[in-house]
Amino acid sequence: MDLGPVLDGFAVVLQPENLLYCLLGALVGMLIGVLPGLGPAATIAILLPITYGIEPVAAIIMLAGIFYGAQYGGTITSVLLRLPGEASSVVTVFDGYQMARQGRAGTALGIAAIGSFIGGTVSVVGLTLVAPLVAGVALSFGPPEYAVLALLGILLVSTIGTGGSVKCLVAAGVGLLLATVGRDSFTGTTRFTFDNLALADGLDFVPIAMGLFGLGEILYNLDARGRGPGEPLPVGRVYPGRRDLAQARGAFGRGSVIGFVLGVLPGGGAVLSSLVAYAVEKRRSRTPERFGRGAVEGVAGPETANNAAATSSFIPLLTLGIPANATMAIIFGALLLQGIVPGPTLVDQHPELFWGVVNSMYVGNVILLVLSLPLVGVFVRILRVRASILAPITALVTVFGAFTVQNSVFDVVLVIVFGFLGYLMKKSGFEPGPLVLAFVLGSLMETSVRQSLRIFGGDPTGFLTRPVSGGLLALTVALVVLLPLGKVLLARRRAAAGAGRPEAGGRVESEERR
Amino acid sequence: MADRHGRRPGRSGIRRVGAALSAVLACAALGACSGVQNGAVSADSGQEYPSGPVELIVGASAGGSTDLLARKVAEVLEGPLGATVTVLNKPGANGAVAAGELMNSAPDGQQFMLTSGSLMTITPHFVSPDEALSVDDVQLVTGVGREDYVLVANSAGGFASIADIVAAGRTINYGTSGVGTGGQLSQRLLFDRLGIQSADVPFEGGAPAVTALLGSQVDVASVQVLEAMPHIQSGAFVPIATFGEQRSPFLPDTPTATEQGHDVVVDQSRFVWVPKGTPEATVAKLAEALRTTFADPGYQDFIAQSYITADETDAATTAANLQADRERYGAAIKAAGITP
Repeated sequence: MDLGPVLDGFAVVLQPENLLYCLLGALVGMLIGVLPGLGPAATIAILLPITYGIEPVAAIIMLAGIFYGAQYGGTITSVLLRLPGEASSVVTVFDGYQMARQGRAGTALGIAAIGSFIGGTVSVVGLTLVAPLVAGVALSFGPPEYAVLALLGILLVSTIGTGGSVKCLVAAGVGLLLATVGRDSFTGTTRFTFDNLALADGLDFVPIAMGLFGLGEILYNLDARGRGPGEPLPVGRVYPGRRDLAQARGAFGRGSVIGFVLGVLPGGGAVLSSLVAYAVEKRRSRTPERFGRGAVEGVAGPETANNAAATSSFIPLLTLGIPANATMAIIFGALLLQGIVPGPTLVDQHPELFWGVVNSMYVGNVILLVLSLPLVGVFVRILRVRASILAPITALVTVFGAFTVQNSVFDVVLVIVFGFLGYLMKKSGFEPGPLVLAFVLGSLMETSVRQSLRIFGGDPTGFLTRPVSGGLLALTVALVVLLPLGKVLLARRRAAAGAGRPEAGGRVESEERR
Repeated sequence: MADRHGRRPGRSGIRRVGAALSAVLACAALGACSGVQNGAVSADSGQEYPSGPVELIVGASAGGSTDLLARKVAEVLEGPLGATVTVLNKPGANGAVAAGELMNSAPDGQQFMLTSGSLMTITPHFVSPDEALSVDDVQLVTGVGREDYVLVANSAGGFASIADIVAAGRTINYGTSGVGTGGQLSQRLLFDRLGIQSADVPFEGGAPAVTALLGSQVDVASVQVLEAMPHIQSGAFVPIATFGEQRSPFLPDTPTATEQGHDVVVDQSRFVWVPKGTPEATVAKLAEALRTTFADPGYQDFIAQSYITADETDAATTAANLQADRERYGAAIKAAGITP
């Protein structure tokens, strides 16, 4: 590999103007990440006119900064207010919010910031070294592979949360049903739209998540307060201690790898990566019962993974010209408006742009870590605000955020409807997490399965005979059926023998020193 | 709301880095509240046009081809129109949601829409009537441009012409950008005429279809030239045919389907419209400002680079073209016996 262009790229980044745009992008990204609903895609679209007048490299450095900066900021509302702004931060809510309730909000945010830094940086290194190689592998993932990945994701959904797995499956089932609303993308027939055009494209993730999590939580707290005096959440130590870091160390590493690999896949990569990272941490843990009750690894794993995925989702755009998600589509547009058509020839034709943008991510991640750690102390103070003030503001921000996504009043109504559903679910012990995640993965699975069957000419054995999808399917069966089965059998044998320490299905966990 | 001094502080001031951050938040607020503001603006319609900032509505999310074209138009249009032009994305049902809202809003030209022709010409044949748009429902302002569809194959697959596809003697899987799009219609009509076994694999837009073809998940795909061009240039894709009446100026060596003996003509047009009942003077002013925009060298560079052919017909011609396309597609769909 020729390192010349890579080093030239650093020279590009270190120009004061580009550094400034990197800082600006990261800062704006973090700020909009804090506002739920106003995602990076919307922000970048709003800011596009500003980029017309600046150099292409500087423009893309800034827009990229907004994108990964938003991943840092998005954690803050997930942890403090139980408001996940994006599908990939839903998983963080489970343990992050519980930690906040236990007075460890600072620890959760600090761990998330450090994990995001590590995930982002590992992913940029991967992007620098193996981007073209990985992009080629991503292309071998067609509809059948996505179908199996989505299936794996949906099955993993039942492992999250603290409720019973039956309740999890019921919630996931409702999520799958909600995913069927809208126009059938194969026949054009409308399903469950009740002749309402606003439903023709189906439901959107943001109003569902905002309603079920954010508004539902506010309503539940109001209800709980009515029955007793409300107490402000305690705010304990702001920064993670050595013990927390030691606990999270393994999760940082595994999250980076999972995020980098899955993030490369266009569509759904980031969601799957956070879900898989969480499931892996829970499976690996000797004390899985802590998960959903404030486990540090439950924040570290997914937060590391979703940042690593955000970074590696640049690979398809920069090496193939394929936008992997909505934000990448707009950055694609920004490049086009600058007179550059992203495609396989981008690296050769515009090396200063390619390496300038890639290398700006090293700098951007350092900037974000430096920015976010001191701000943790500021943000946790939000929890000291009285609920009578915080709740209406949160509700307002939620509704406002949901409106901005599609400039749609209908989405605001949806937030309110799902807010009540979230309240009822919480009262009756159902978790919204499985519902939301199954909803996101449900349409991915439906579309991919049907596309696959068209490609196979209607023959479902095609899933087994293709090497990649067949392999993934075997892995899924092993992870979801055989492993838990083995665990149960092993535990039974142990209980019968009355000896031996419990260990997960023969896997070795002792390499992780505590 | 400023009616006389409707011009907001110019964009040029915003370009400074120092001011950008404050502008970010202002823009965010502006973008978010704009739906609310319009109610106030439209109250004093009939006065001098434009009264305050105008909105160019796009019925798709940011980043798509219609959106990018709209952003370029908005950028250049600010000068000749003498007002801030904001692009407002309202995705849903191929643009039918945004179109429906605009049709029922105040006819004052403060909001206008850039729409793809397929919403009026192809989609109506595949969806329920209320999801489609008719030429009679709107006041056309001007045509904007046309884009060609190109049938491409992965170069590893060995297809170089339509004859090669027929000679393969097996089921051909073709990727499309979705139900009711020109990419789907062009291929359905072609494969119907060829009379060979084929399967339609819809994706959610052109980019995923291109991705699938890059990975050889499908055999061919018909997508817009912009979507295929980087891969044609890199050698990953082979252009097999274009579906215009004439060869695409951007792919002069690729014969049309008609030249290869298969009379399938499908393309994508784009046009600008306002609600019916908009004062004639307003429509004329907007059309004039758009004509000045189309003459701008920066705009012309952009459309050439996006592989769009200028088709800046006046309102009456645009309406006639759209109506003719709709009938032509309808007849072809009927003749081929296509149901979605």
